[in-house]
Amino acid sequence: MVTLSAQHLVKRYGGVVALADGNLEVQSGQVVALLGANGSGKSTLSKIVTGVVAPNEGQLLLDGQATSFASPLVARRAGITAVYQELSLVPEMTISENIWLSHEPMRLGRINRKAMQQRTQALLDLFQGTIPASLIPTTPVYNLHPDERQIVEILKAISQDPRLVIFDEATASLDSSQVTRLFELINRWKGEGMAIVFVSHRMDEIFRVADTATVLRNGSHVGTVDIAETSERQLVQMMIEGATAMEREAREPVAASAPIRLHVSDLTTEQLRGVSFELRDGELLGIGGLQGQGQSDLLLAIFGAIPFQGRLALGGKEVHFSHPQQAMKQDVAFVPGDRGNEGLLLIRSILDNLMLPSLREYGVPLRMQRARAQAGDVSDDLNVIMSSLDAPVNSLSGGNAQKVVIGKWLLRDPKLLLLNDPTKGVDVGAKGEFYSLLSNLRQQGTAILFYSSDDEELLGLCDRVLVMHDGRISAELAGENVTRENLVSASMGAAHHEAKPPGASQHEEPTA
Amino acid sequence: MNQAKFRRFLARNSYLFALLLLVVVVLINYSRQDNLFEPSVLNRNIRVFLPLVILAAGQAIVIIGGGIDLSVGAMVSLCNALLVTWITPETAGGDILLAITLVALVGMAAGLLNGIAVAYLRLQPIVTTYATSFIFAGLALTILPRPGGELPRDMTRLYRRLIEVDAFGNIPIIQDIPILREIPPAFIVIAIVLLLWAFVRQTRLVQYIYAAGDNAEAAYTTGIPVQRIRLGTYVISGFFSAMAALALTMSLGSGSPTSGDAMTLDSIVAVVLGGTRLRGGQGGIAGAMMGVVILGVIRNIISFYDVPTWSQTLVDALIILIALAGPGLVRYISDLIRRYRLQGGRAA
Amino acid sequence: MTEAKAKRSSSLPNLTRYLTPPVIALLLAIALFLFGGVISPGFVNPNQAINIVRLAAFLGIIAAGQTLVIISGGEGIDLSVASIVTLGAILTFRLTDGQNELILPVLGVVLLVGAGIGLVNGLGIVFLRIPPLVMTLAMAGVVQGLILQVTRGQLEGDTPDLMSELIAQPLIGPLPGVIFLWIGLGIAMWLLLERTPYGKMLFAVGINRTTATLSGVRVPLVVVLTYAMSGMLAAFGGFVLLGFTDTVFLNLGGRYLFPSIAAVVVGGTLLSGGKGSYWGTMSGALVLQLINSLLQAQGLPEATQSIILGVVLLVLISIYGRQRAFRL
Repeated sequence: MVTLSAQHLVKRYGGVVALADGNLEVQSGQVVALLGANGSGKSTLSKIVTGVVAPNEGQLLLDGQATSFASPLVARRAGITAVYQELSLVPEMTISENIWLSHEPMRLGRINRKAMQQRTQALLDLFQGTIPASLIPTTPVYNLHPDERQIVEILKAISQDPRLVIFDEATASLDSSQVTRLFELINRWKGEGMAIVFVSHRMDEIFRVADTATVLRNGSHVGTVDIAETSERQLVQMMIEGATAMEREAREPVAASAPIRLHVSDLTTEQLRGVSFELRDGELLGIGGLQGQGQSDLLLAIFGAIPFQGRLALGGKEVHFSHPQQAMKQDVAFVPGDRGNEGLLLIRSILDNLMLPSLREYGVPLRMQRARAQAGDVSDDLNVIMSSLDAPVNSLSGGNAQKVVIGKWLLRDPKLLLLNDPTKGVDVGAKGEFYSLLSNLRQQGTAILFYSSDDEELLGLCDRVLVMHDGRISAELAGENVTRENLVSASMGAAHHEAKPPGASQHEEPTA
Repeated sequence: MNQAKFRRFLARNSYLFALLLLVVVVLINYSRQDNLFEPSVLNRNIRVFLPLVILAAGQAIVIIGGGIDLSVGAMVSLCNALLVTWITPETAGGDILLAITLVALVGMAAGLLNGIAVAYLRLQPIVTTYATSFIFAGLALTILPRPGGELPRDMTRLYRRLIEVDAFGNIPIIQDIPILREIPPAFIVIAIVLLLWAFVRQTRLVQYIYAAGDNAEAAYTTGIPVQRIRLGTYVISGFFSAMAALALTMSLGSGSPTSGDAMTLDSIVAVVLGGTRLRGGQGGIAGAMMGVVILGVIRNIISFYDVPTWSQTLVDALIILIALAGPGLVRYISDLIRRYRLQGGRAA
Repeated sequence: MTEAKAKRSSSLPNLTRYLTPPVIALLLAIALFLFGGVISPGFVNPNQAINIVRLAAFLGIIAAGQTLVIISGGEGIDLSVASIVTLGAILTFRLTDGQNELILPVLGVVLLVGAGIGLVNGLGIVFLRIPPLVMTLAMAGVVQGLILQVTRGQLEGDTPDLMSELIAQPLIGPLPGVIFLWIGLGIAMWLLLERTPYGKMLFAVGINRTTATLSGVRVPLVVVLTYAMSGMLAAFGGFVLLGFTDTVFLNLGGRYLFPSIAAVVVGGTLLSGGKGSYWGTMSGALVLQLINSLLQAQGLPEATQSIILGVVLLVLISIYGRQRAFRL
């Protein structure tokens, strides 16, 4: 048995309060969902519980005893561990080395590799059927896809026989079969007496797995409710203070006479095996499917960021980009999903970030007045909440930072906008603003290619959805066919994950 | 699939390129010097390399752990100065051992200073160890203002003389291999270091060094005491520097306050030649040791090919540059071919 | 994540906003100068000040390219500057052979040669993925080898009189030309870093190469260009240095190698790249030169000077060279 109780935890960074009043109660056999918008203090609270962050005030009671964890190691010895969203894996090491890192099975003072590999295999078997069979204990981690890495993270936490596990956005990169398996496992572990804290943005998952929900807002505890006696709407209300849940807008079909902006035929990369489609001006074309089926490759190839084979026509003219800069000259823009690593220069100012793709437009020496005026306009349009354009972009919240990523491309008036899961980790309010921005852009005639891992978004916003599986388009849904059932079945229908490892296609193009 | 496997194999055995290079340079050397494998010739070569071999092993451990140590040369100078000050031709056997122990402790203390600055004060390794190298160099100069000192003749002889072995005396064929009957002492030192490494490689401690060097943040959240590990790598480097100084002193028979200075950068080049990446988390000490031998043999070759004196530096530097470029060149060309193949379909 | 981000940006009271690393280093330089007056009377006088700035100018000019390379990130560092400085000086010495009218054409040649060497550095680093530290180290050996190969140790030539007049001797009032040259370079470097697309791209490349590429920056081009410029600026440093030394020797630039890196770091430029300024490097060069002059003015033995320099460097690095803690 274990009970953990966090009471009135406070964490300040300089003058900024990240957590003002953090409370959390969890005990054996219970799954507690920890909810809150971005910046509400969820991560800080879970990091205090696992000893990664030291609180300024408040106390932590473990089995009724006041404790404080000097480091993650101390927390772990007390049986508390976490599955992190920002991954804690060591890329050069193998799956088994990573899972057992710091608690390796030992024999005569040395690591017992054989035992380590056997135990790793037993852990991997928990997810059997949802991960490729080619995944073995000695596969190095740098070879893994994001979902596979996430599963290794989960197994790493479980390998420690913990009494309490915090899942911090652990499902963000998993596909639905993996999520389902994880929930089965969580139920099993719960039955075995484990205490679980589940942090997630996905409402449906919380209703599937959690017993109670603790909600944080602006760093303070708002309340804890029983999941069985509450509704999604109620939880959202608690999270966003007075705001209402987003309304879906009515879809307007694109005139079939609109000119074709993008024509892709037989696009092939290491992950894509012949993708063809058309996109018209003013159309919002969705891309769906399970994670890692080639959606990112498709967008990156069109943008010229990875080499590809096949034909691309932009506005009727054949093009073949070998660097994003060439695509940008043809008014193509790309909003990456991973803001911190792909979209922003975190320590530079908002102004510098907005200017970056358009530097050549400002001449030598740079006309800073003009750049500043334009950046000011676009950040006003997007309603970026900031102290000034000179503030570093890492002072912004997640949603506002994402607006900067979009803003830097809007400054270039793109005719084709490529979006790679742009709302991942963005809070509800900012999502709503983003959706109305998309419909504005459509009305202005911008062609938008929109990949999202959130099915609801695709269903709510898109005229047409291309569902991808294993590097191909497995279904094209349009009009009345854009339904949840069709989307899910097209994603899953052909999904025999372990039967078809990537690279084992029979239809491989002959290489010249 | 096979190609991916092959790549993985190469990545996991990063010293293979170094091994290949070593074989090539040794063969070239042999083609010009057919007595290369005679015990006495081998001994003369390897005992000159040994100080740097030891030093590069220590450097490799620091680099694998995610740091770099620019003070190793100055630590060698300092320990060399101490050795010739504490040991004179009249020093008795027991006192010699005491002096060597003290010097090892001094090396570790110097490493401790580096380690505290890098791991606990969180200073950037390159500039920190560069700064401490001034401290160590100044101390060396204080202790031994000008070159001098002398070791007992037994010590230098111990280092120079081949060790006669008759363990293989009765086994046919093997007993006729000269190098197995007379073994250079440096070989035994290298063998001990490698065996020790092979043993500790499978301990948690060394596993932690790799993890901390590869992704320190991940290692920390996993509960690895990253700071203590970092500190440890610098202390180990200090110890290896002291041992390198011992080998150097026994090889030279005397001391100089700047004896080790030139070895710092060579030790880093050797580590990279040995297939260890400078970012940390990968590689090993065997490669670094091979790197040193490669550097030494290249210099041998240059002298055997009668390269004019004024051209030797250039030829030496060019060969090292090409050796460093080797793996990158192979990868660059194979990338070009892959890209060409992928885009070739379009052109056709 | 977001909480941690908030930490770094916030909460600095207004005054400390102006205490950027270059300003701190400059204040430190002034303090050191005054401190010099306390420990050795007579240290503080205009001539001494001019002399120190003059000496710092040479280090500062040589460290200009180093600043760019370090900002470019990716473990960027240039260990070939010292050899290129030597080469630049020797080339000028030999090719002008004391003739004033040849100064400008020779300067052109020197800059081209320096840029060429830097270009090779950049190509090796970008396309062959050789770590900058060892690539530039090996290149330093090659350049040194080239010098020996070509000169065979015979350093023949002469320094044009005009060069030492323009560079080392008082030009306007008591101020030597090199000081104006340095200030000019400072302005040029500020323009380059803050007011050209290249400068903004350089910072982007130093912070995050993926973001830079996906924003249309041609990262390989920027990096190669940066190493080429570093080579060019180092060669220029050699040219200027000759105006001061009047003569050349085989290891002329050697003593500037690590100081050129130290000046950049003391000036608050991050060794990990993406953040820094040339004003900082200028202040850093002043600080280093002051420490040197102070130690020499004390008449301390070389050994003691070395130890004190090491300790002072450690202290300076610990002012801003600190990396992020794991535990927040």
